[in-house]
Amino acid sequence: MSIIRTEQLSRRYGRRVGVEAIDLEIGAGEVFGFLGPNGSGKTTTIRLLMGFLQPDAGRASVFGLDCWRQSAPLKRDIGYLPGDLRLYPWLTARSALHIFGKIRGVDLSGAGGELAERFRLEMDVRVEKMSRGMRQKLGIILAMAHQPRLLVLDEPTSGLDPLMQEELARSIRELAAAGHTVFFSSHTLSEVESLCDRVAIVREGRIIADERLETLRSNARRTVELVFADKKAAKRAELPSYLQLVRRDGCRCQCELEGPTPPLVHWADGQPLADIGIGPPDLGSVFHKFYESPSEPS
Amino acid sequence: MMRGLLLKTWHEVWLMTLLFSCALLGVNALLTYVIPQFQEGLMEVLERLPFVRPMLTAMLGTELGDEISAQTFQAFLWVHPTVLALLWAHAIVFCTRMPAGEIDRGTIDVLLGLPVSRRAVYYGEAIVWLAAGLVLLLMGFLGHCLTSSSTPDQLRPEFSHAIKVLTNLYCVYVAVGGISLLVSSLSDRRGRAVAIAFAIVLASFLLNFVAQFWEPAEQVAFLGVMEYYRPAQILQSGDFPAYDVTILLSVGAVATMLGGEVVARRSICTV
Repeated sequence: MSIIRTEQLSRRYGRRVGVEAIDLEIGAGEVFGFLGPNGSGKTTTIRLLMGFLQPDAGRASVFGLDCWRQSAPLKRDIGYLPGDLRLYPWLTARSALHIFGKIRGVDLSGAGGELAERFRLEMDVRVEKMSRGMRQKLGIILAMAHQPRLLVLDEPTSGLDPLMQEELARSIRELAAAGHTVFFSSHTLSEVESLCDRVAIVREGRIIADERLETLRSNARRTVELVFADKKAAKRAELPSYLQLVRRDGCRCQCELEGPTPPLVHWADGQPLADIGIGPPDLGSVFHKFYESPSEPS
Repeated sequence: MMRGLLLKTWHEVWLMTLLFSCALLGVNALLTYVIPQFQEGLMEVLERLPFVRPMLTAMLGTELGDEISAQTFQAFLWVHPTVLALLWAHAIVFCTRMPAGEIDRGTIDVLLGLPVSRRAVYYGEAIVWLAAGLVLLLMGFLGHCLTSSSTPDQLRPEFSHAIKVLTNLYCVYVAVGGISLLVSSLSDRRGRAVAIAFAIVLASFLLNFVAQFWEPAEQVAFLGVMEYYRPAQILQSGDFPAYDVTILLSVGAVATMLGGEVVARRSICTV
């Protein structure tokens, strides 16, 4: 069964498009990356999933429940971290776990305490005295303490130092390994790349790509550096169609490889090469291409 | 679930309610002690400043006549602008917290991220508000009791009459709060909601005053909240103001429920 399902989900803010015809289907145990620049519709999609906004068209469901009409019961199994997290200034981690536990009807003090230790958050500091990073940690703890089946994180690493970012990544991987689903919204490619199984790219309110990360990687170009035995050989070399020359510098040729590496290795075997370097798939170039050039929705 | 919501609301409002309660206790104690000292000089003031008479008539809800009776004088405490301002301010400040205040400060995202219906959050606030109003009025009454022994016997209202006035005043508080909840439910900015609710209450107060000497205003005076609060009449007759209480409670209940429906059905966005 799908954990999240949206069909032609649309929402406008007056004349401005929030999201348009969003189709998503996310299964259990997936870590789903939702990637897009600021203002592209990521937060609007999340607000629709959380039942804060009523869709203008289409529908969204989580665990098979309608996000707008049945928003309260479906949030029992959701942990949510808003993008622009604002907490009550009088809260401490301890009082927050107590009150949120009472509202959820579960005791959060044990699991919450462990998470606080893991994220190195003091339990008795009031929110008004916390730094941005500490507030973010508290938000993460409150979202994860009840072990939700679905964790919705809107730009969760903002304000976190690299160590805590790594700790968050570890927690997310553990949750996913235990069969929980994670909806991870971000505008930072590296985060999504290191964590997610699948990525949707959203631009101007529309999903323009929704692929597994391996598929994106296999379609991404690689940087290839060919070092010929001498300048003449470099000049004479006829490159195959899947290898685009970017720059020639003496006996070195900087190229971009489209497609898999075996044909390149096979071709290189017959060339007068002194060395060859093949870089990892450059996902950045794929995302830049999506962001920069207008394209049809997938 | 509801206990958690009530606990959260209580955490946020106890200090404000304590401060308002202490202020009302102090003001009522002071006014109860001070007002009788003006009894003799008041008729002179009314002769020198004729515009004061319709104002007092509007506030007390009864004609003053040539002589101000002891019962009418007892009512001054319960219509004093400071007392009314404190009660209204508490009702307006409290009742614009949800949803306008929560949206304005961005905390609604965290609150509605919990498995609670919007109606539960809204009515949770309303329950604490009604309880806080009760505490506020009881503290005010306590302030009055503290110094009433210093006043002459004829200026001391009977306990049962005073309770009836307090009940009527609580209903005014409920009506003002209910209207504020409705305004808040339609707004994303708390400052705007407070301003609109305050403007409505002020307009209602002024309407009641203007209706004393301007016939067109008299025609629509029934729209003002103060039209249904007449403490001098209660203290004179000792009758329970069933009609006024019914109207005020109906306004409060209908406005509160309308607000609840708006909150449950509207899209909420903190942008």
